[in-house]
Amino acid sequence: MQRLKSLALLTLLATLSIAQNPMDFVSPDIKRVGMKLSCLCGGCRNSVGDCAMIACGYSLPARQKIKQLQTMGSSDASVIGRFVKEQGLKALSEPEATGFGLLGWVMPGFAIALGLIAIVVYVKRFRRPAVITESEVPAALVAEYEDTAARELDRMQS
Amino acid sequence: MENLGSLALLLAFCVSIFALVCSVTGALRKNLYLIAAGQRAVYVVWALITTASGILVYGLVSGDYRMMYVATHANKAMPWVYKISAWWGGQEGSLLFWSWILSCYGVAVVFTNRKQFKTMMPWVVGIMSFTQTFFLVLNNFVVPPFTVWAIGRGIITLPDGQGLNPLLQTPSMAIHPPMLYLGYVGFIAPFAFAIGSLINKQPGDEWIHTTRRWTLITWLFQTIGVTLGMGWAYYVLGWGGYWVWDPVENASVLPWITATAFLHSVMMQEKKGMMKVWNMVLVSATFFLCIFGTMLTRSGIVQSVHAFGISSIGNYFAVFLAISIAATVWLILDRLDFLKSESQLESVVSRESTFLFNNLLLLASCFAVLWGTLFPIISEAIGGEKIGVDAPFFNRVNVPIGLFLLFLTGVGPLVAWRRSSIESLKKNFLWPTVGMFVLMIVLFGAGMRSLYALMSFGLCLFVTMTIFSEFIKGTLVIMQKESMNVVRAVVELTHRNTRRYGGYLVHMGVVVMFIGFTGAAFNQDAVIEAALGETFHLGRYDMKITEVKDGETENYAWMKAVVDVSVGGEHIDTLSPERRVYKSSRQPGSNVDIRRRLNEDLFLNFAAMSQKGNGAVIQAYIFPLVSWIWVGFWVVLFGTLVCLVPAKIKYSYARTEVIGTATNVPREAHAKT
Repeated sequence: MQRLKSLALLTLLATLSIAQNPMDFVSPDIKRVGMKLSCLCGGCRNSVGDCAMIACGYSLPARQKIKQLQTMGSSDASVIGRFVKEQGLKALSEPEATGFGLLGWVMPGFAIALGLIAIVVYVKRFRRPAVITESEVPAALVAEYEDTAARELDRMQS
Repeated sequence: MENLGSLALLLAFCVSIFALVCSVTGALRKNLYLIAAGQRAVYVVWALITTASGILVYGLVSGDYRMMYVATHANKAMPWVYKISAWWGGQEGSLLFWSWILSCYGVAVVFTNRKQFKTMMPWVVGIMSFTQTFFLVLNNFVVPPFTVWAIGRGIITLPDGQGLNPLLQTPSMAIHPPMLYLGYVGFIAPFAFAIGSLINKQPGDEWIHTTRRWTLITWLFQTIGVTLGMGWAYYVLGWGGYWVWDPVENASVLPWITATAFLHSVMMQEKKGMMKVWNMVLVSATFFLCIFGTMLTRSGIVQSVHAFGISSIGNYFAVFLAISIAATVWLILDRLDFLKSESQLESVVSRESTFLFNNLLLLASCFAVLWGTLFPIISEAIGGEKIGVDAPFFNRVNVPIGLFLLFLTGVGPLVAWRRSSIESLKKNFLWPTVGMFVLMIVLFGAGMRSLYALMSFGLCLFVTMTIFSEFIKGTLVIMQKESMNVVRAVVELTHRNTRRYGGYLVHMGVVVMFIGFTGAAFNQDAVIEAALGETFHLGRYDMKITEVKDGETENYAWMKAVVDVSVGGEHIDTLSPERRVYKSSRQPGSNVDIRRRLNEDLFLNFAAMSQKGNGAVIQAYIFPLVSWIWVGFWVVLFGTLVCLVPAKIKYSYARTEVIGTATNVPREAHAKT
């Protein structure tokens, strides 16, 4: 009975493995298009072109479909368009630079710009005004002196 | 037993409320008895949650399949290590685990500060107890871990359980969640100290040192947790990489980024009394991002291999977050006078400025990751259609930010506090800059054409040279003054200022990790279907499947492909990637085999059986330099531990300022000074 159970399990394993065998060699053509498409298996955040999930239920059939469409002479854009038509914009691995998708690209840059403005405001507000001195000592010597003093204080404190 | 567990949790909930009420009332009325009662209640809460946790773990190990949690997350065949790790393998158990760690932190905070911060500690205990109460609400009333199978009034027991998710049955998954939780939950300590200091208007600087130390400890755990997660993704998930910007991965790294920013900007507060509001915001943001990350993982808002599935638990987290954020914002605004800056920025070219830019970039990175994670949800909510945001977006946005941060890692430590002259900048950065450009030219000449890779390698050398120059300068001085050999002088130098030189070591670890990340630009992969005895190639490797074996253990059945690897006709290794099917859950799993070397990893995954010649479908990858990431992690770990060692010399940070230069002083007098 135990032997029979083990045999059944191994058969299941072999069946599962063979059933997961639609993997084809990912040619550069498939990869090029696949990199622009998102793997929608729900388990990873890869693109169809580089998804390496074992037995991935989305990227493997998607690659076959890309190959099929390419064999029929479809251009990259039309292959991608086909996926978008079927799955919606979530089929793309990154937002398009148009419409609402543009916001996706703009916001991180906007945040950096906002941060830079904040730094400028901070520096302007909290920067000590330069001390004006009337000295006969040459400016270069004063600068050297200040530099040494700053270094010494830095060494003492850090 | 399950009744005892439930009772312990219910009592813990009551005692936690008691701790909260006693601490707050005691602080308001300045009643020492109430304050002491609140602090002692923290120990009781820990004892009760430990009891409940012990009962759950005992149920998992002994196989008490009357309990739903045990039956759905363990089985008889699982090794005992995974039976214990099943504690945090599911929603109910992991939330109990969260509560338990929180109670441990509560005990640690109360015990280590029992003789200091007398007026602030009740508030610290109050904040921690408030959070503890929230999690105990979840443990008791939303996702109780001690539910039993029942038909009518009768409790039934199952003959065996379903077992733990196969993906979680790996050694690193037994350590990764506890480490990550220690990091996640631990950020409550700095948050509680920061808010406690605000409420109490805590005078002096000692509390900020304590906050920083707690942040460093939890940051260390978070770093270990995130890196273990990377390792798990690398060799268990078969993603073909260690990081794919999965929402839950992103959730784990967000508080890590803000905590990193805080660990830098807090130096401005310690040394100059500046950026107090900003530091308060960073500490709070770190804690809230931890809670937000937990909500993201457990509510089903996002799809992920890590997520716990759809649940209404997100609503509870949303309410907790809303209340906490509103209270924190109000408190910060109300205490702005207490957070006034004590000094001013003297020059734009100064260490202070590099910290500002460091914080800007870290926060920009944090925002970009958060934005990318939430953009699909936002686009669906506003535009009605989900827009995909995957790894290419995150890489495109974060790689330039990361490189700029790497640049600042080299620049920051060598720029003086207050101000730096052009001469000193030239002196400090001339050779590192020359080295950087020379390396970039050499690599370009050698055929490397990836701009980011060239920049990254160049900057890695730049930062390395600046760090080494700091160590060399200090070591030479000690060698001369103390007549020590090089090794002793380096140890002495580091011991004298562990924070500074430990920090440099952490930076060095980051550089080593960046070298590993850059290797990803040169990854190679192929999916090959080969018959038994057939040779296939990838890069410089020739591989041949010599045997496909099968067998079974108590827990799973397995099939293994034995692959001989040779280079230039010389046999160098034999790899055995394996596929499994777990008996109780009938779920498949894989066990990849990796030939690890410093220059590159050869990574083989037994993807499937082949229909031709009894062979196999093998996913083969070459990951250049990936081992440097793990080496860099150990350096970061070592550096952080050095930072935590008390320095030999106690430094006090006098708030000194250069207010001007003396006028009409003869040149000779200057020379004498």
